[in-house]
Amino acid sequence: MKRVFNTLSIVGLAVLGVALVLFLQNWMGGGIELPSQFYTFTTIFLGIFIEAAPFLLLGTLASGLVEVFFKKESIQRIMPRNRFLGALAGGLLGFVFPVCECGVVPLTRRLFRKGMGPAMGVAFLMASPVLNPIVILSTYAAYGWGPVLWLRVALSLAIAVATGLIFAVEEQPARLLRPSSLSLAPIRGASVDVALPIYPGSLGSRLRRALSIAGEEFFEMGRYLIIGSMLAAALQAVVPQGTLLALGSGPLLSVLVMMLLAVLLSICSTVDAFVSLAFVGTFTTGSVLSFLVLGPMVDIKNILLYLQVFRRRTVLYMVILPVLMVILATVFINLNLGI
Amino acid sequence: MSERTHKILQAAILFGLSAFLFYKILSGTLYFYINARFTWLVVLGGAVFLALAFFAWPRKSASDAHDHDHDDHGHAHSRSAWPLAILCIPLALGFLVPSRPLDSSALDTRGLTTNALMSIGGQTAVQLDQPSDQRNVLDWVRAFNFAADPVIYEGEPADVIGFVYQDPRLPEGQFLVGRFAVSCCAADAFAIGMIVQSDEAHHWAANQWVHVNGKVQVSHLDGVAVPLIVAESIKEVSIPPQPYLFP
Repeated sequence: MKRVFNTLSIVGLAVLGVALVLFLQNWMGGGIELPSQFYTFTTIFLGIFIEAAPFLLLGTLASGLVEVFFKKESIQRIMPRNRFLGALAGGLLGFVFPVCECGVVPLTRRLFRKGMGPAMGVAFLMASPVLNPIVILSTYAAYGWGPVLWLRVALSLAIAVATGLIFAVEEQPARLLRPSSLSLAPIRGASVDVALPIYPGSLGSRLRRALSIAGEEFFEMGRYLIIGSMLAAALQAVVPQGTLLALGSGPLLSVLVMMLLAVLLSICSTVDAFVSLAFVGTFTTGSVLSFLVLGPMVDIKNILLYLQVFRRRTVLYMVILPVLMVILATVFINLNLGI
Repeated sequence: MSERTHKILQAAILFGLSAFLFYKILSGTLYFYINARFTWLVVLGGAVFLALAFFAWPRKSASDAHDHDHDDHGHAHSRSAWPLAILCIPLALGFLVPSRPLDSSALDTRGLTTNALMSIGGQTAVQLDQPSDQRNVLDWVRAFNFAADPVIYEGEPADVIGFVYQDPRLPEGQFLVGRFAVSCCAADAFAIGMIVQSDEAHHWAANQWVHVNGKVQVSHLDGVAVPLIVAESIKEVSIPPQPYLFP
């Protein structure tokens, strides 16, 4: 892992160098013109970053506030004992914390640290980017009260709960998570929490503490957001979507193509409904649904963010299980429901 | 890297990110990246970055006392420089690379769609109820998508702005005047266009922004009815402040 990061920082330095050269030549009025793909890449990358960074910030702020205001015991008391109820509650928790797919990752990790079980945590992580008021509203705006809206909600909840339940086999969250995700002293100074379950002090000092946690967490998560958006932008700048879309119109192939597109595009779940409308005429309803259900659970930037919280093996399952379930459900819809 | 240096660098980067967002807003290039509807979110992000920068700055105060008993915990992995280097990438690209909106070269991978459905519901009918010479490229494409028979639009005056795209599918004497429609950010941009018919079609270089005036006719591209403008005038214009259309 460390070697990967060293390579990545070299990539980072290279990008920095290119940017500097560009700036200088532009400033001196020189005439080197980089390939247009570079500008397309930069615009798409900055677009994703500018759009996603505030959402990630909100997630880290929520995480900081949970850290300083919630007692570990109080969360464990509210949490259902029964695994199925736990997973179901996790799947519906998005209505309490309306965070989207970037913000949900730091918040979930914080809730794990506060003692949330694996089933509930994973279900929350997977479901809340769809099962929250904002996303349901935007899907409604795009599709109205139709099968697409309720199937999206129902499938997302079912798949998230099922994935959560599969992880419930593991009693010890520690075996799913990266060691650093569970330590109670994730950040310098937080070791005090071992003795005091909740951060002591005045409201002001608690808020200050929450902000400093949010800042640290932004650095932890932000780098994955950046690498993920760079990958997505690079793929968008070079992979022709037309050839991809031309691949499939059959009940199975169309689903696979749309899932691949969802993973590549890495669009925020708050607007993906509008984006998917462009495919409605030419693609099967099942495949449009697969785009809407899988995208918020699994895409390039999400996978990288997950890697910061979970062990690599866990992330592998967190990708494969939803992919398989989405294929099963949406191909079934394509073949059996004439919608 | 010492703890203090690390914290100072973190604060500096957070400040830089705040400055980057406000720079994009103030220089008017924010709309090269996102839908204007989300401007408030970027303002909020910039403000939060600023606040975080302020609280990330190392301070010698009583409230930080427990920072010290932590130094021997050894979080060496999180104190290395590479995460900071990666956080500098958006800063470098944002401040140093000249801002450019997506242009026709992005069409090589994105293609141009003739289907611009924005809602399955019926609310679009209201949006289409506007004088024909005030419709932009997106309005026209939508109007054609929703019309039972787009022939009703034939002869109406059109007055649109867009970039030139020399589509290889078109015969001589025609080019496309295109726009990108962005719902959220540039990652979800899709291109739409109208055909322009003019004797000087081949004079126009790809990516040149033009203002086209003329009369609408129905043409077909890949079997779909698309609007065609028989040009009466084509004028060169500079990139509009909002290069994308917001569905």
